[in-house]
Amino acid sequence: MQLTETASERALADEVRAFLSGQGVRAEELPHELDDRMALLQRWQAACYDAGYVGRTWPVEFGGGGRPPVEQIVVDQALAAAGAPEFVNIVGLGVLGPSLLRFGNDEQRRRYIPPILSAEEIWCQGFSEPEAGSDLASLRTRAVQDGDNFVINGQKTWVSWGQYAKYCGLLARTDDTVPRHRGISMLIVDMSAPGVEVRPTTQITGHAEFSELFLDDVVVPRENLLGELGDGWKIAMYTLGHERGTAALPRQVKLRTWFDRAVSAARRREVDGRPLIDDPEAQAALARALIGIEVLRHHAYRTAGEFLQGGAVGPESSSVKLLMADAEQRLASTVLEVLGPTLQGGDPDDIPENDFWYETYLYSRAASVYGGTRQIQRDIIADRILALPKE
Amino acid sequence: MDLELSDEQVWLEESINTLLERRWPAAESAWQAGEAERARLWESLVEFGLLGGAGNDLGAIELCLVARAVGGHLAVVPLIGSVAVRYALAPFAAELPDDFRALQTSDARLAIGLLEPGGGWSPSGVRATVKDSRLTGTKAAVEHAAVVDYLVVVALVGAEPGLALVRRDSPGVEWGDQPALDGAVPLSRVTFGDANTDAVLSGQLAQTIIDRLISVGGLLAAAEAVGASANIFSQAQSYATERRQFGRTIGSNQALRHLMADLHVRQASSWSTTLYAAAALDEGIPGARLTGSVAKAYVSRSAREVAHGSIQVFGGIAFTEEHPAHRFLRRIILREQQFGDAAHHERELGRTLAATANASASASGINERVAA
Repeated sequence: MQLTETASERALADEVRAFLSGQGVRAEELPHELDDRMALLQRWQAACYDAGYVGRTWPVEFGGGGRPPVEQIVVDQALAAAGAPEFVNIVGLGVLGPSLLRFGNDEQRRRYIPPILSAEEIWCQGFSEPEAGSDLASLRTRAVQDGDNFVINGQKTWVSWGQYAKYCGLLARTDDTVPRHRGISMLIVDMSAPGVEVRPTTQITGHAEFSELFLDDVVVPRENLLGELGDGWKIAMYTLGHERGTAALPRQVKLRTWFDRAVSAARRREVDGRPLIDDPEAQAALARALIGIEVLRHHAYRTAGEFLQGGAVGPESSSVKLLMADAEQRLASTVLEVLGPTLQGGDPDDIPENDFWYETYLYSRAASVYGGTRQIQRDIIADRILALPKE
Repeated sequence: MDLELSDEQVWLEESINTLLERRWPAAESAWQAGEAERARLWESLVEFGLLGGAGNDLGAIELCLVARAVGGHLAVVPLIGSVAVRYALAPFAAELPDDFRALQTSDARLAIGLLEPGGGWSPSGVRATVKDSRLTGTKAAVEHAAVVDYLVVVALVGAEPGLALVRRDSPGVEWGDQPALDGAVPLSRVTFGDANTDAVLSGQLAQTIIDRLISVGGLLAAAEAVGASANIFSQAQSYATERRQFGRTIGSNQALRHLMADLHVRQASSWSTTLYAAAALDEGIPGARLTGSVAKAYVSRSAREVAHGSIQVFGGIAFTEEHPAHRFLRRIILREQQFGDAAHHERELGRTLAATANASASASGINERVAA
């Protein structure tokens, strides 16, 4: 084990910091209007891609940097520590790009991966359905073969950035005659094709990052099949595991910057003439929130060790996901408790900060739902790590 | 950055486990082992090279691997005192008085005297005092006091805590058995009545070494608890796949599947944070002491949670004296309390957070005023 950064890792982190101080975009300063926000975020990812900070570890022949995995961790952490926003093509980078690399043919990889990295083409995922949430394998969206095409009918929910996406990685049932997990295929759907309709969904935070997707006789050429017919479930499980396994390291840095911000708010704000941070109960509550974030970091590092050696992301990524949800939710709830009466004190100086914490708190409730609920993660651990008998 | 154990480290833990299997009774009956068996095991560990010397000192990672194995077997040896003191002293060998330095190349068994009746685990509250090289005071929860060669005692030297090295057989040193939750581990209350010291450390050097001693001691206690909780959890896992009720295997019930999944997360992440904090200490990373507090606080709660959950999986059988579950629970609680429990470290971390925030605020205030 060696925690200390090597000289080259330190040089890379310094390079990223220098890049950010020149032209950095901060997550907190994004335009509120969604179209403007999207345009800026696309330019931002493109600039980072040009600098070599996106897809750093991906193969050179498909537009990546071909560098060792540890470098992407160094870059992601340096970006997150500086408050840079997450890359907007998050579904392409975290979910479908890795699937294309693993299961796609060379033609698909050459066609789709470079614009994923540069954010020229935004991707969304069409996995969940109104009647197929945690029970994803019960999905009903159907793709029927018709000559050299598939014809798709159905409905999808929780489609991230659906209204801006150029392509959707979509799971659809292609065979009714086999056990349900084996009758699902993954198709690449052009979001501008006739019969595709997108309706944004407003979340509890007031933002609309997700959409519903309606597919009505949408024609998709057979060459847009990812992997083999019936591979959809296998691909989806791989991609979700990948998302869980790699998201934690930048996420814990973000949580740490939020934590530092909470401590700073607790120092500035007073109740009855006494700074909140001087209250021993507030101190202990903040310490427990910090412990959650730190342990997430330590565990993500240890499980990333295997990933860094080029291994697959295994079921231990479900532990990381559970720790990540716990850490985020504990932090958000703790901040509301620590700031206490100052949240409703009406001090005009506090209002933007209060809004930030309210939104962070509301968003944190999704942490134990998206990417497989807390209960699904426990089932994965029970089956695949503990080898307990199935229900 | 390299986040995996080396082949040598993996080999070390395997070797220690093999040694424990050969030289120590099964964990289930380990509580019956007497001083002869403890001494025999300790000799084997020393022979193996546990105490280092001659440039082969083990790092905190290696020591935690050993402590985890010891905890898994419920072994009873003067491990924590003997290795934590040497680890704390090692980087400062050149500045140490001869008698302290000589420990590094000896096989002496050591015990730590830190906690006092009526006191806490923070060194700032100690009342034992060294005056004219003689120690007076009382220490509690001193491990293996009847067999160790030296006591390493945190005591006031002048106004500040220092470190005194005392031969256990010095006149004025008296010890009596102290009841403990884990009766297998001998704890004593030791009184020092104007006892002669072999050497005394004071000032900044003593402060640094005491901090390091408490950090590594806490991590070794945590690692031992992780080993103990891993063993009982693995037994509960087997039981859940065999025991049938209502015509089905109990481990197929979602309530138990999810309980055990949560216990797995606690167990796996407890080990991660222990190893990370050990690596931070070995590499001298700034904030390593706070990272040690994070690990000790987390493992203190988690190891107990894993033991509780495992007992719940076993049900009534684990409430019998005959069943080994309580032996593991007792060891886990013993180690939870030593070098500060979760509440202790959470308070420490919280105070540090507040002090750091206040200090950086006043520092940036100064900068702003200078800039203006």
